[in-house]
Amino acid sequence: MKRKDTVKLISADEMEFVIDKDAVMVSQTIRNLLTSPGGFAETKLGEVTFPEISAVILERICQYFYWALQYSRGKETEFHIEPELTLELMMAANYLHT
Amino acid sequence: MERKTIELDQGWDYMHKGIKKLRRILEGLPEPPFTSEEYMMLYTTIYNMCTQKPPYDYSQQLYDKYREAFEEYITSTVLPSLREKHDEFMLRELVKRWGNHKVMVRWLSRFFHYLDRYFIARRSLPALNEVGLTCFRDLVYQEVCAKVKDAVIALIDKEREGDQIDRALLKNVLDIFVEIGMGQMDRYENDFEEDLLQDTSAYYSRKASSWIEEDSCPEYMLKSEECLRKERERVSHYLHSSSETKLLEKVQHELLVTYANRLLEKEHSGCRALLRDDKVEDLSRMYRLYCKIPRGLEPVANVFKQHVTAEGTALVQQAEDAASNAPGVQEQVLIRKIIKLHDKYMAYVTDCFQNHTLFHKALKEAFEVFCNKTVTGSSSAELLATFCDNILKKGGSEKLSDEAIEETLEKVVKLLAYISDKDLFAEFYRKKLARRLLFDRSANDDHERSILTKLKQQCGGQFTSKMEGMVTDLTLARENQASFEDYLRSNSAAHPGIDLTVTVLTTGFWPSYKSFDLNLPAEMVKCVEVFKGFYETKTKHRKLTWIYSLGTCQINGKFDQKSIELIVSTYQAAVLLLFNSSDRLSYSEIMAQLNLNHDDLVRLLHSLSCAKYKILSKEPNTKTISQSDYFEFNSKFTDKLRRIKVWDSFSAVFFLMLFSLLVVCIYWDEKDLNFVNLSLC
Repeated sequence: MKRKDTVKLISADEMEFVIDKDAVMVSQTIRNLLTSPGGFAETKLGEVTFPEISAVILERICQYFYWALQYSRGKETEFHIEPELTLELMMAANYLHT
Repeated sequence: MERKTIELDQGWDYMHKGIKKLRRILEGLPEPPFTSEEYMMLYTTIYNMCTQKPPYDYSQQLYDKYREAFEEYITSTVLPSLREKHDEFMLRELVKRWGNHKVMVRWLSRFFHYLDRYFIARRSLPALNEVGLTCFRDLVYQEVCAKVKDAVIALIDKEREGDQIDRALLKNVLDIFVEIGMGQMDRYENDFEEDLLQDTSAYYSRKASSWIEEDSCPEYMLKSEECLRKERERVSHYLHSSSETKLLEKVQHELLVTYANRLLEKEHSGCRALLRDDKVEDLSRMYRLYCKIPRGLEPVANVFKQHVTAEGTALVQQAEDAASNAPGVQEQVLIRKIIKLHDKYMAYVTDCFQNHTLFHKALKEAFEVFCNKTVTGSSSAELLATFCDNILKKGGSEKLSDEAIEETLEKVVKLLAYISDKDLFAEFYRKKLARRLLFDRSANDDHERSILTKLKQQCGGQFTSKMEGMVTDLTLARENQASFEDYLRSNSAAHPGIDLTVTVLTTGFWPSYKSFDLNLPAEMVKCVEVFKGFYETKTKHRKLTWIYSLGTCQINGKFDQKSIELIVSTYQAAVLLLFNSSDRLSYSEIMAQLNLNHDDLVRLLHSLSCAKYKILSKEPNTKTISQSDYFEFNSKFTDKLRRIKVWDSFSAVFFLMLFSLLVVCIYWDEKDLNFVNLSLC
């Protein structure tokens, strides 16, 4: 997988997740970041750090991204959320504007 | 996950650092670009400050601070830099600052994005983007827009005078006007366009007033066309497209509308002169320029109409004057010339004037004026009919190829449209057609039918129904004659001894012919009876009336020197045949035998004894016929030809009502009509 088509998401506890760019664009916030004018040194490297999101949540979020993509392409399945994660997941979603 | 509450000052302090960094980047100072971490931190700070529980929910304050950030930057940095510059430099600075501002808005609204999601909607406040633009508009734009506008217009005028200007710069500046309207064009229109239009009007008004004095009409038009082209180009390069119609309208008004009359009426180069000199290109230009102006073409069409009328009338006058020298010929020449005139100006209408209805109308009206004038006593209807006759008859004055004939006939029919008394034309045409058909003078059947088709298309079936009937009659007559000949072959007893050709015509189709009865010689009487017998076998319930005035006979005259074939009318034949039984007859004897009236008899005898060919000799040998004259067969008569035609001055045009259903014209053919000393061959 080419570097250009992927983005690395880093959680608060320094877990790294490598995701497709398409998937990551589901998040408005991340999209804004990556398309801001001026160009980041870092966007060229494609890394984003989330100091307030834990790895568990971030992982779930990545899964959500992919599910959202699939859903928009017609595959209508269900996205299950474990109840104990719900609150944090929602807050993260709010933060990421997803 | 626990979050520390962020105090406003603390949070803002952090944000402020980010804003300062952004400002430095915009000013072009050496500053490393934002990292994604920095970005996220800034975003997160805002996010947290907005999602904290009250009283730490700082959305409102942050919203205000956002605006203040712009205001502060503008007042401290942007405005001063603009104020110290002028004209083109100011424009450049403005464009740069605007660009920067847009970038700043984008960045800050990304950072503050969370506000956009919930806060503004809840409080029905303008979005961050709008806030940013509004700051620029209220603080910067308001102050400089008048100066900017003046600078722009000055540059435009400079370009109009021929200088090169920075078109890209102007485009950028004008884009600001458009964008600052935030969806509405009102800023562009009120703050810029209005003055532009005024300035344009003034500029072109000045130009026009000097050009109209110095330049000829074509030159002026060329310049106008060029100006319009340049202005159009100007719009496409840097003005907003919505300005195009308004701008061009102003230019057109100043250059073309204000001076329309002066331009067209210019003495040696105006519309009239252009038409006179056949300046097709200039006329096309005139059309192009004026067709976009409402009612702009009317004066041009008027001049066109007057010109064509004048030319046509001149032709008619020419023909009138020349007719005294060479009667008969001039009329044909006139029609030809009128056709040419029509072709020429129709081409103008289709090419120069792009087939515009106004010009079609002008042409039509012009032709209607002079096409209905009489020339040397003949109406145009008659002239046209004579013209057709010349083309269609054998040995006519026009020797043309088939296509040329077709073309000419088409044009003639078109001319007919302009003649008001078309019925008159129909009458003249019918009479001439009858003559052509009956005396076999028609050159080509196809052409005859072709023109009838064209006339039918133009004037309707009613117009041509009789004429078509006439042509059909002839065809039927030929078939009839064939069956007559068969009939004679099978009934040899009925044969009259003379070859007889009969043409049967339908009354109503043909013009009326007068024919008075005369006492036919015995030989002819027999012929009539035989044909009647034949005809009754074919159709009953029809009455035949014989028109002797249209008949011809071929008589073999055995003169002393040699035999000569004489082609004479039926009446003349009747007179001559009398001399088969008597050598010498007096006027009164002839009259009694034939039962004619004086006028006709005098004419007849004149044609045989006092005209070119003296078949009969007259006593006394005077030039006129008197009732006491005596006539004898002139055996001494001779001529170098073997076959001569003796003209009879009967004309075939009389107006009488005929009751019969059919009218028959007799065409006697040759062989053995006796004429003194003639033996039966």
